[in-house]
Amino acid sequence: MAIRVAVIGNPNVGKTLIFNNLTGGKAHVGNWPGKTVEKKEGKCVHKGVEMKIIDLPGTYSLTANSIDELVARNYIVEEKPDVVIDIVDSSNLERNLYLTLQLLELEANIVIALNKFDIARDLGYEIDVNELSKLLGIPVVPTVATTKEGMEELRDAVLKAAREKRKKRKIEVSYGKKFDELILKIQRAIENDEELSKKYPTRWLAIKVLEADEEVLKIIDRSPCKHEIVNQLLEMKG
Amino acid sequence: MSKKIREILGEDAEVAFAERRYAVISEILPKVLKGAKPLTRSDMLDKALLNKYLGIPIFLALWWALFRFTFDVSTPFSDLIDMFFSWLGETTSGAIANEQIASFLSDGIFGGLGGVLVFLPPIFFLFLGLAILEDSGYLARAAFVADRIMYKLGLHGKSFIPMLIGFGCNIPGIMATRTIDREEDRILTILVNPLMSCSARLPVYILVSGAVLGGYAAAGVYSMYILGIALAVLMALLFRRVIPYFKGKPSPFILELPMYAKPTLRNTLIHMWERGVLFLKKAGTIIFLGIIVVWLLSSYPWNAVHVEDKFLLENSYLAMFGKTIEPIFRPLGFNWMGAVALFFGFIAKEIVVGTFATLFGLQAEGPEEVIPALKSSGIFTPLTGLAFMAFTLIYLPCIATIGVIYRETNSWKWTLFTVIYELILAYVVAMAIVWIGGLLGYA
Amino acid sequence: MMSKMPLAMLSENEEAIVVEIRGGRGLVRRLSEMGFTYGAKVRILHSSSPGPVLVSIRGSRIALGRGAAMKILVNLEVEKWQ
Repeated sequence: MAIRVAVIGNPNVGKTLIFNNLTGGKAHVGNWPGKTVEKKEGKCVHKGVEMKIIDLPGTYSLTANSIDELVARNYIVEEKPDVVIDIVDSSNLERNLYLTLQLLELEANIVIALNKFDIARDLGYEIDVNELSKLLGIPVVPTVATTKEGMEELRDAVLKAAREKRKKRKIEVSYGKKFDELILKIQRAIENDEELSKKYPTRWLAIKVLEADEEVLKIIDRSPCKHEIVNQLLEMKG
Repeated sequence: MSKKIREILGEDAEVAFAERRYAVISEILPKVLKGAKPLTRSDMLDKALLNKYLGIPIFLALWWALFRFTFDVSTPFSDLIDMFFSWLGETTSGAIANEQIASFLSDGIFGGLGGVLVFLPPIFFLFLGLAILEDSGYLARAAFVADRIMYKLGLHGKSFIPMLIGFGCNIPGIMATRTIDREEDRILTILVNPLMSCSARLPVYILVSGAVLGGYAAAGVYSMYILGIALAVLMALLFRRVIPYFKGKPSPFILELPMYAKPTLRNTLIHMWERGVLFLKKAGTIIFLGIIVVWLLSSYPWNAVHVEDKFLLENSYLAMFGKTIEPIFRPLGFNWMGAVALFFGFIAKEIVVGTFATLFGLQAEGPEEVIPALKSSGIFTPLTGLAFMAFTLIYLPCIATIGVIYRETNSWKWTLFTVIYELILAYVVAMAIVWIGGLLGYA
Repeated sequence: MMSKMPLAMLSENEEAIVVEIRGGRGLVRRLSEMGFTYGAKVRILHSSSPGPVLVSIRGSRIALGRGAAMKILVNLEVEKWQ
């Protein structure tokens, strides 16, 4: 049995080190097809399971702003990796969770590596890991990449997540009554396009449409549901 | 159609959504996080290092320390490698009967390759120093301190880090431009990045400075780095003014400053190793092939070159080729050997040194220490030596870098432009050095 | 009527609340995802006028060029937002 694991996180969270810890420092470096972004892949065998580890570009968010973000986003949405390890900097929790929320909207199967846990402690932070895990609905593993603390637990968590696949109820962001209703309506319109609904999470598409995300709008443009969507939007405006 | 949707929606939803996400995070946070401190040790450190007046001097001092460290610590290692390859060369030339094979091994492989690998220690230590600066978090501060000046020069503050990395090797430097959002700013940074004197040119400076600048050798090397920076700035300003594509202000500077961290030995060594290994691979393949080619061309036609006990380099194919292109370089004071070294430097800058090593090794009929050999050959005067170093600095990026430039800009136009403008600039600057020096009375 | 002023005009150690970002789409997006949203508390750590400014926001340190700092509008009456 082999599973695919993507690794993502903000810049400066220690992603490279965790990737190296997982893959034993051996990685194959190439390019994402057609892009100038570097693609790093490695392997890890844990308890008899082979894990193919892909290092996604470090990014703050998953908008269509830059190639890095698009590459990361497209990989998760199109390749649908079995698990996505979201590396979060414990000493910078607030901002790091922004990416986490976006990953949840992408319906990725996330395991959070709460890295730099030692630094957070030195700074006087106390993080309730269990509560965080409960509130988000995602497994959270504290790690210290520099000393390899937590790596074993991380590997275990990844295997478990691959097997259980989204059993827990995960947090969902409400965008306010007006927008939530609109998102639902657009979701319905999108669900009429079977092909589209199978390929992408429909709620995520709806949210991105409202955000006027260039890449998503291009996708919608090619779909028959676009007319219904435009109608909904005009209704809202009117 | 997407345009139509965007017209209907405007930007409101996007901003509102970002707000909502942070609002959700703000609700979660107090339940899971306690004990936040307003100011950290890292912040205190920044107060000193980012100081308006001290920031830049501190940076320059650190940079100088980096180079001093690189040279001083690496010298004993370089000497060891030098001795090893000399010994290898002597042993093989004595032990093998067949003259051609003996020469191939002793002069070609051990002499030439050894001459290049001698510079491996400084390159590794330079990468080590850069890795420490990067892992400690200081490099981001350097970009911050530099932004004020960079902005005035028409460059983006984020261009600073790729240029700093370019001092190690232009290839990761150019790849580091990916953090620059605006394409115009990114391409401009890529165009001038090769002027950042990469570590492959270092051997050439050490060689020529050591040979002809005597006590001023260190200053000579340092001056090349300054020259590179000055030219990069000049070209950036020039391009911004003259080429319509680059007109307009650089995009907004937004950079997160990570907390200062003590670089872990393991992590830093991994960084250093990754980049150093790239150099080793280059040495193993491209440079090695280049050196073999140089050896071949300089040893054949065998019987014309090896007459009785003498080694008549002038009769080799290499000399014939060199003499053909020599006229181009004569106004600069380079002879055919310099011309040939520069030509092969196109493949990889280290080959410039490798070429000299091979040539002198062959002439002396054994592995030689290249620096004294160059000195006694009298090929360069202090002035033309300086011009030669400047030419090497500027003339064009090595093949691998050209490849990366093409990959990162996705444009033949820009790649070709880089090659051409650098060739012209190199000639002009070298010429200027020789001319001005002549006027000032140096021969 | 809320009084707004550019972030760039604050002095070291001053605190303020983000109210609006007046800029192109790309800038608004990038700043929003970094945490510069309506109601976010910002503190100036370092200002080297006319150079870039270093702020603390949502627990991280962000360096902003003068141009970006002029486009972020803030309100100084922090107490009103608590």
